Amino acid sequence: MTIREAQAPMESKVRRSKRSWSDVALSVWGVLVFLFLFAPIIVIIVSAFNTGRLLVAWDGFGFDGFVALLEKPAIRDAVWVSIQTGAIAALVATLLGTLAGIAMARHPGKWVFWFIGLLLLVSVTPEIVDAVALLPWLVFLGQDLGIGLFNDGIVRLVVGHSLFSTAVVSYIVRARLVGLDAQLEEASADLYAKPFATFRRVTLPLAMPAVLAGFLLSFTLSLDNTIIAAFVQVSGTTPWPVYVLSALRSGLRPEIASVSTIMLVLTLVALGLVAFVLRRAGDSATQIARTMTGN
Amino acid sequence: MPRFALAIPAWAWLLVFFIAPVAMVVWFSFGYKPGIFGTHANDVLSFDRYLEALSPTFFSTFLNTLWIGLAGTALCLVIGLPVAYWMAVKAPPSRRGLLIALVMVPFWTNFLVRTIGWQVILAPEGWLSSLLQDVGLIAGPIDILYTRTAVLIGVVYNYLPLMILPLYVAFDRVGAPLREASKDLGADRWRTFVRVTLPLARPGLIAGVLLVFIPLMGDYITATVLGGAKGNMVGQLVASQFQAAQNWALGSAMAVMLIVVIMLTVAIGALVVWLVVIPFRSRNRLVLGDGREEAPAAPVAVPADREPQEVGS
Repeated sequence: MTIREAQAPMESKVRRSKRSWSDVALSVWGVLVFLFLFAPIIVIIVSAFNTGRLLVAWDGFGFDGFVALLEKPAIRDAVWVSIQTGAIAALVATLLGTLAGIAMARHPGKWVFWFIGLLLLVSVTPEIVDAVALLPWLVFLGQDLGIGLFNDGIVRLVVGHSLFSTAVVSYIVRARLVGLDAQLEEASADLYAKPFATFRRVTLPLAMPAVLAGFLLSFTLSLDNTIIAAFVQVSGTTPWPVYVLSALRSGLRPEIASVSTIMLVLTLVALGLVAFVLRRAGDSATQIARTMTGN
Repeated sequence: MPRFALAIPAWAWLLVFFIAPVAMVVWFSFGYKPGIFGTHANDVLSFDRYLEALSPTFFSTFLNTLWIGLAGTALCLVIGLPVAYWMAVKAPPSRRGLLIALVMVPFWTNFLVRTIGWQVILAPEGWLSSLLQDVGLIAGPIDILYTRTAVLIGVVYNYLPLMILPLYVAFDRVGAPLREASKDLGADRWRTFVRVTLPLARPGLIAGVLLVFIPLMGDYITATVLGGAKGNMVGQLVASQFQAAQNWALGSAMAVMLIVVIMLTVAIGALVVWLVVIPFRSRNRLVLGDGREEAPAAPVAVPADREPQEVGS
């Protein structure tokens, strides 16, 4: 037996025992925390198949909750209101945010500092403050100034849901364009393209992955918005989280878990699309994580 | 055309639907509630609503909120930091995309729904309660729903992804070469972590703490679902003044106070950290060259293209 052969197993043993305590502890902790993170979600998904009368008390397995969704127009309407609001709010936020993001990336100046300050202010203001501020403001616009538009339920929800999303889209689009050289736009201008043509044919396609990701993120943000929605909603156009919030007071039934499960799947599909779009555009997993948490 | 022309629509939108309403709330906070049927009046201006918001009844809620905010942020940091480090450093690179996706799922599950999930778990008649009783860990049904403990569990859960993700990004950026260099220079793993990895990850640490603390202080849903009467937070107080009590003046003053408390706490926290860090500065400078935290962008040779996993798949 050569020395090397004798050493090899020992070496590997030493390495394994050296790796053990801290690394194993870290892995165990990681797994535990992931279990913690998924516990309530699993509970909700399991509850969706509860045939009992109350969400908390397990009775048996069945699809009663999902059938109840089809039978109760109130929940269906709430989901439909959410989807409509989400689509319109996402359109508004994407339009405003894309233009602002392009301006910040391509026409920098002192104003960008102030504008980012405004966006930051929008992002860090507690949602409850936005909510209680929008309520009297929309009443003021709709009733005192008589602008009938602001008495419409969907319009009020869209306004409330678009604020944070506009800031998010602006960040994402700016981040994408700042990372790309402006030479392409300069070349386009040198080749006698009019500013608008350059914008439409060069800048916008460059920003497109960020625009799409921003749209989908805004959609899911709107779909999940509860606090602002609870304050600005008009009876008749209740989005689904607000319906759930009111069900909380009157007693939770399994169909609440069923609708939550369906909306979770919808959200995950949208987010999967975001990841796909960003991935195609060459972002790394880390960059995608940053984009999706809005920083 | 001015340089900011394209930003004008967004600017106008936020001016009309963010700045103006918030300014209106600030204006309301100096007024008063005129009678049973009025919500606000501003013909006499005073700071009385602020004094009212600081009266013992409401002040205890402010203290409670601050306690939950600080304890919740600290717990998120303690729980989230090892996880982020594990994800960025110890987990196999091929699995990192999947792990990030797994952290994102709870983050993107509806806030209200996941909080209701905890209500179900913590319910005295729920499965966790009966399981713990069967095992013999507790004598009676668990009794933490509708207490401050339940709210603390809820906020730690709800904001934990916001701590993990920026920390992960920061640890990921430090990159393996610097850690290996530190080990080659004779530092053990603990020293490497404390003197190299952690100082370089400081931007992520700060981002995580702020991303958790600021929204946590303004939380409304967690306390509503899990807190009941005992685990009250300022968010609920503000909401109830606007909804049930119809006292917009007092509610506005509370909302403004909430923002002031958040900003003050962040400022004081920053000052304390700065003072604590001063003695360590000169030591770290030896390790980091010029001691600045600026992007260690160069040694990032890590993940991206080599990962087969699709985030979110």
